[in-house]
Amino acid sequence: MPVGSLIHDLWIASIALQVMLTATLLVKRAWRKYPMFSAYVFFTLFETAATLPSHRLGSAYFYTFWICEAIGIVLGLAVVREIFTNIFAPHAALRRLATIIFRVAVVALIVLACGAIYEQSASAKSFARVVMVSTDGTRIVELGLIMFLFLSSSAFGLHWRQNEFGIALGLGTCAAVELINVTLMTHLSAEAEQVLSLVRSLSFNGSLLIWLGYLLAPPERPTTPVDVPRAQLEQWNQAVMELINR
Amino acid sequence: MITVIVIALALCAVVLFYMAVRSRRKHAVQSLRQVDLAAFHTLLDRDDELFLKRKLSRSKFIGIKRHRIRVTVRYVARIASNASTVLHASEAARLSPMPQVALTAAQVMDLAAQIRLQCLLAMFKLSLEYAMPSLQLTPAMLVPAYQTLRENVRRLGDLQTQNSVPLANAI
Repeated sequence: MPVGSLIHDLWIASIALQVMLTATLLVKRAWRKYPMFSAYVFFTLFETAATLPSHRLGSAYFYTFWICEAIGIVLGLAVVREIFTNIFAPHAALRRLATIIFRVAVVALIVLACGAIYEQSASAKSFARVVMVSTDGTRIVELGLIMFLFLSSSAFGLHWRQNEFGIALGLGTCAAVELINVTLMTHLSAEAEQVLSLVRSLSFNGSLLIWLGYLLAPPERPTTPVDVPRAQLEQWNQAVMELINR
Repeated sequence: MITVIVIALALCAVVLFYMAVRSRRKHAVQSLRQVDLAAFHTLLDRDDELFLKRKLSRSKFIGIKRHRIRVTVRYVARIASNASTVLHASEAARLSPMPQVALTAAQVMDLAAQIRLQCLLAMFKLSLEYAMPSLQLTPAMLVPAYQTLRENVRRLGDLQTQNSVPLANAI
């Protein structure tokens, strides 16, 4: 099966998955709890509908696609912010420190993004290339912030709610593949580029499936079984006494 | 160079997500492990350390101090893990319609979060001490804070109809 037709099939599948995800968000009223994520999903569906008619019109498609991509990235960053707020909302003691680290991470990632843009700016001769380089920069910030969310919640021992974990995981997977795709695009041959497009389509469908899976899965029940091992004080004292008396 | 960093960042992200999924599955059943605070207190006792320093040769002292730090790290990790479990377990109580329960749950969560932060700091101090055994950076605040957490969890258990005193006993 040629790669081109496989990408086309995946694109059709992604439309079906997007419709299902939108319906799930509406039926489960998840848009009340996750307005930014819902806006992101609704917009992605709108993007598909908007770019579909202009597919064969060169410049119209180009501008529609990149404008939608820019809005999609801004919404993606808003989703990260929404997850951050939801995770740290119940923890006043951690929120202040987490916000400071979050801001430092934003600055560090912007610096890295500027570095990436600067390095690639020499080769950005066309408008399309400039847009791509800018996308690369914003994807770095988006992915870095999602990584920060995972790392900080792990360091602070926070428990992710099922839906938020799914949203972050789907968004992160998609952003990571997009970043690799945008960064490598100009360095690869046409055939390799097509394979990368296939990977991109697969990852987008994968993200849609992750979101659907986590939204449709039954809510988890907290369980706290108790495991009480014997104290180590006696062992410790014995070891120290043996060493001293040796 | 930046391109390599960016690709490395993306690959690190993929590995991180995979690890997060695995760790979430593993921790679906959260475990509480009791902490022997008396033992932990003894490990942090600087007089005890000075006694060992006087009695042992320098090389033996360094060896035993590093061993001591390794044991302390395990205690701190256990405290951090228990604090995390308490954080999670108190979330439902924080939304209780009974104001007293909700308030106590919020206090418990606040304290548990502070203990998590102290554990991070303690880990950092212990790492420094491990690298330089002559340093003395005691994470002494952890013992009273953890004791207070236990008491608050017990109080929360008393307030709730579904008594969670076993949780207080377990940590």
